[in-house]
Amino acid sequence: MSSPPPPPPPQWVVDLSSPPAAKPKSTAIPDPPGFSAASTGNRKQVSSSKTTTRAPPTTEAMDTLKLKKAWEVALAPVKQLPMTAFMMYMSGNSLQIFSIMMVLMAFKNPAMGLMGTNQAFEKFESEGLKGKLLMVKAVYVVMNILALALGFWKVNGMGLLPTTRSDWLAWETAREPLEVAIPAF
Amino acid sequence: MRLPINLLCLALSVLPCALAVYADEAYNVDYHHELLGLPQPHTTFFHRPRQHDKATLLYTLSDLGVLGAVNPGTGKVVWRQFLADNDTASPAGFLRPVEGEGAVVSAVQNRVDCWDAMSGREKWGNVFAGQVKDLEVMEHAAADETKDVLALFEDDGKAHLRRLKGANGDVAWAYKDGSEDIPLQVSTNIREVFIVSLHGSWGGYNLKITILDPVTGKKTNEYTLSTKTDIHSPDDVLLVGANSASPIVSWTDKAMKHLKVNILGRSGDIQSLPLKESDGEIVKVMLHAPHLVQSLPHFGVHSQSAVSNRADVYHINLASGKIEKEYELPKLPGPGAISVGCSNANVYFTRLTEDEVILVSTASHGILGRWPVTIDTPHGSLIHGVSEVVQKATDVYAVRSAVVTDTEEWVLVRNGNEAWSRPEGLSGAIAAIWAEIPESKSLAKSLEVEAHSNPFRPERFLSSILPQPTSHTTGSLSKDGFGFSKVVIVATQRGRVYGLDTGNHGSVIWSLQAFNLPAGKKWNVKGIWVDNSRGTATIRGSEGEYVLLQTATGDNVETMPPGSSPPVTSTAIVDGPSGKWLLPIGVDGNPGEVPKDWVPNEILIVQSADGEIRGLKFETKGLDTKLIVAWTFHTGIGQKITSIVSRPTHDPVASIGRVLGDRTVLYKYLNPNIVLVTAVSDISSTASFYLLDSVSGSILYTTTHTGVDTAQPVTSALTENWFAYSLWSDVLSTSASMTAAKGYQILIFELYESAIPNDRGPLGATDNSSSLEPSEVPNAEPALPHVISQTFLIPQAISHMSVTSTRQGITTRQLLCYLPSSNSIVGIPRALLDPRRPVDRDPTTLEQEEGLFRYQPLIEFDPKMSITHAREVYGIKDVITSPALLESTSLVLAYGVDIFGTRVSPSMAFDILGKGFNKLSLVATVVALGVGVAVLAPMVRKKQINGRWMTS
Repeated sequence: MSSPPPPPPPQWVVDLSSPPAAKPKSTAIPDPPGFSAASTGNRKQVSSSKTTTRAPPTTEAMDTLKLKKAWEVALAPVKQLPMTAFMMYMSGNSLQIFSIMMVLMAFKNPAMGLMGTNQAFEKFESEGLKGKLLMVKAVYVVMNILALALGFWKVNGMGLLPTTRSDWLAWETAREPLEVAIPAF
Repeated sequence: MRLPINLLCLALSVLPCALAVYADEAYNVDYHHELLGLPQPHTTFFHRPRQHDKATLLYTLSDLGVLGAVNPGTGKVVWRQFLADNDTASPAGFLRPVEGEGAVVSAVQNRVDCWDAMSGREKWGNVFAGQVKDLEVMEHAAADETKDVLALFEDDGKAHLRRLKGANGDVAWAYKDGSEDIPLQVSTNIREVFIVSLHGSWGGYNLKITILDPVTGKKTNEYTLSTKTDIHSPDDVLLVGANSASPIVSWTDKAMKHLKVNILGRSGDIQSLPLKESDGEIVKVMLHAPHLVQSLPHFGVHSQSAVSNRADVYHINLASGKIEKEYELPKLPGPGAISVGCSNANVYFTRLTEDEVILVSTASHGILGRWPVTIDTPHGSLIHGVSEVVQKATDVYAVRSAVVTDTEEWVLVRNGNEAWSRPEGLSGAIAAIWAEIPESKSLAKSLEVEAHSNPFRPERFLSSILPQPTSHTTGSLSKDGFGFSKVVIVATQRGRVYGLDTGNHGSVIWSLQAFNLPAGKKWNVKGIWVDNSRGTATIRGSEGEYVLLQTATGDNVETMPPGSSPPVTSTAIVDGPSGKWLLPIGVDGNPGEVPKDWVPNEILIVQSADGEIRGLKFETKGLDTKLIVAWTFHTGIGQKITSIVSRPTHDPVASIGRVLGDRTVLYKYLNPNIVLVTAVSDISSTASFYLLDSVSGSILYTTTHTGVDTAQPVTSALTENWFAYSLWSDVLSTSASMTAAKGYQILIFELYESAIPNDRGPLGATDNSSSLEPSEVPNAEPALPHVISQTFLIPQAISHMSVTSTRQGITTRQLLCYLPSSNSIVGIPRALLDPRRPVDRDPTTLEQEEGLFRYQPLIEFDPKMSITHAREVYGIKDVITSPALLESTSLVLAYGVDIFGTRVSPSMAFDILGKGFNKLSLVATVVALGVGVAVLAPMVRKKQINGRWMTS
């Protein structure tokens, strides 16, 4: 037994799924009188009308721009290093919420950066930049590792790295005596 | 699992040390049985501490030598003085009231003291040569002078009587008897002083009465009573009447058929009074006479047979010296107690039996008052007592009697009703042990409680929030969540065993007379052991006797009387093929024959008769077991071993190393088989301490001190990787760098595997250690520990040391020391006793990180260190500790004359919320947050939806 065909969707569903077509942005037809458009729409209209006047850049110029931008991205981690180092130095080696958060950030940011190396340079990817971008990426990785090293330096300073004998004391066991003597006094 | 423990360890070392007992914990977590000992019949009395005040206090000098005043209304101790400082034999003490002066005079051993009756402060004290035999207060004809005291001493076998001035204790005159007679007692009426002594030799004595002039102390007369057939020892003389108008001396003939009486001062006049038998032979005759001069010269003779008791009342005719029987008190079943009460001239006898109190006057046989006895709990039969009689109206009397009972309780019966009872039998404890509350019992109890309380009922919820006393008050034995509730089994020198509930302020849950010891004999407990899986405790005495009892109920499972098995010098808990058991060690350190199934696997360390220490090993070959002496240890010449301590049986170590400031590790020397032997030499005034490996017998470390006062206490404690001892020594300066030091010292020694950090010593990283073959190399030297030590000066002697014990050993240990001179127990924190504290310089940053601070030679016993705070604990023999379920807390019990118990947390209570924690505000905050969320959530949701949908 087949179920009866579903009833036609209500009007609001139809409206929702097929909204009225967006207004073309660059139209010369003025709005009818009394139409109150949002002010942003007006400005957008103005700016978009301006861009239309500029000539599109050439591929080479675009590549140069992209490379410049990519270098900026690659060197970004190292730019904040002096500031981070100074703050780390100032915050001391004690375990406080401030220094703990700082250390967490110091680890999180470079790690996230390293993981997202390709994504960071995805928008600069183009045919002509392939070789040069590899170089930029390598510098980016090095910079991130540098930031990470700063984090390690801080953690070590705080004594959180298990580098000493005392950190492994918990896994050492006392010697089991083979003989047992019982005092009777 | 090990990581959190160690992290916790690290965290704990950061915490400051708990020094104080918090004000809200004092008197709440701790409990104290303020005891006196069993009151003696001749040293217990009611006395007015203030002359013009009618209120009286009850004074006693107990069998333990504790002098105390008890408020007869409440049963609380008003003041106490501990007179028997050294525990040489049972002190026969004397205590007399100074009538009308608000003072009591005591004499114990070789000293006579006068105490203020109200405050217990000493008025004067005087020490003489010899042993005190009797003490009497002289009545003056003149009322305004302070009353003098007569003290009879036996010095070098001769009687020595001194009259001491009542104002300052100076000797007014002294009389020395030339003969070798045994001085017995002194007695006085106002005109004459009598010395009663035993004349003769072993087997039979005559009574010699010497009469002295009270003013000059010159002998005026002396006469002898022929009593050779009747008196064989000083105990056969029943009574020498003390201060009364007509003092008497009396004794019975051998068959207990007649009572012989001599009125002192009347030579050759022995009057014979018949003793009437009732229900079989008379076993005990007691005389009761008034102690006041102004009282009528009446006395009562109380004769007890095995099943009943009766009494006769006699009058002395002062003019003729005739003794006439006035009337008799009829026979009553069971043993009873008769006590005498005087008020001015009237003399009253109070007759107490288990169900009735009868008051009679000695003047006539009419019963003045009769009260049925209502007692809350059975105390057994009454042994002896003292009474105070007050005449309220012509025919209305009130009487209160303090009675010592068969169960060694001191009960005050006021007009037949029990006012209070004191468990005085608990005093004089000689051994104690912790026992867990048996599982089955506690489970059944908690289920029962659970069944009665609905978890959804509000009071149960509230009870978990609101601050509540941690101890249960229901009176039944049950476990608590923190493990504070345990049973302590205490054995006393009088042969009684008590069970105390530590969760309920140390209340007595059961008591048991394990053995009936003859008078004057002390029970010598050699071993006490609890089998928690069976819920039984075994106590072994020195004469081969033992008792096996249930820890929860005190039911006697098995008793073996003294002498039924060979004498025992010590015991050890050993592990044989059939499980753990308490092995008795006989004379000369010989365990004797051990059945094959019970042969211990371990090496036994025993002490032989000549003082040497032996390691014994059992070797089983087929059916026979052979005992092999594995090693022996002798001390130096002239030294004798005074104590041997080993690590406690429960001594867990959480961290095997000590982390230094630069985060390197000094590895602890953790050998469970070590014993610390203390040997002193009285002649050369030296004390040596030997640290022995108890498997191989090799000496691991030794120290010797010169200039030690061996009469002062030398005590030691050994745990984990450190030991401490204290002594009095006079160290002379031998070099410029060493300064002289004289006084009490405490020394601390820490043992490490190696002096170099991060080094595990000669044994390297091996997993096992054998004391017999320390390394692969044959006949190698034992791995000796590296020892760091430090000496501190302390202001007082320490007579006993013990160490707190916790469940996992994470909490730092505290050294608990009993200070006899201030009657308190101090807990010295380990951080104070650290031998690594920098000397003569401030600590470096790394050392500060380790928690070290500059060395100060003197450790002051700050009152904040005292775990007994304001309480005074007397005569502590031993302090035992036990872990609670909470890691932070250790249970402590001190026993001796008093019983004191508390809980200590040496690293602060880090795993339990303090009383100050406001649970109510926490819950209120959570509830308020919940309400806030419930109210705000729909509002926010509405706002968000509106924000999406409403454009303007």
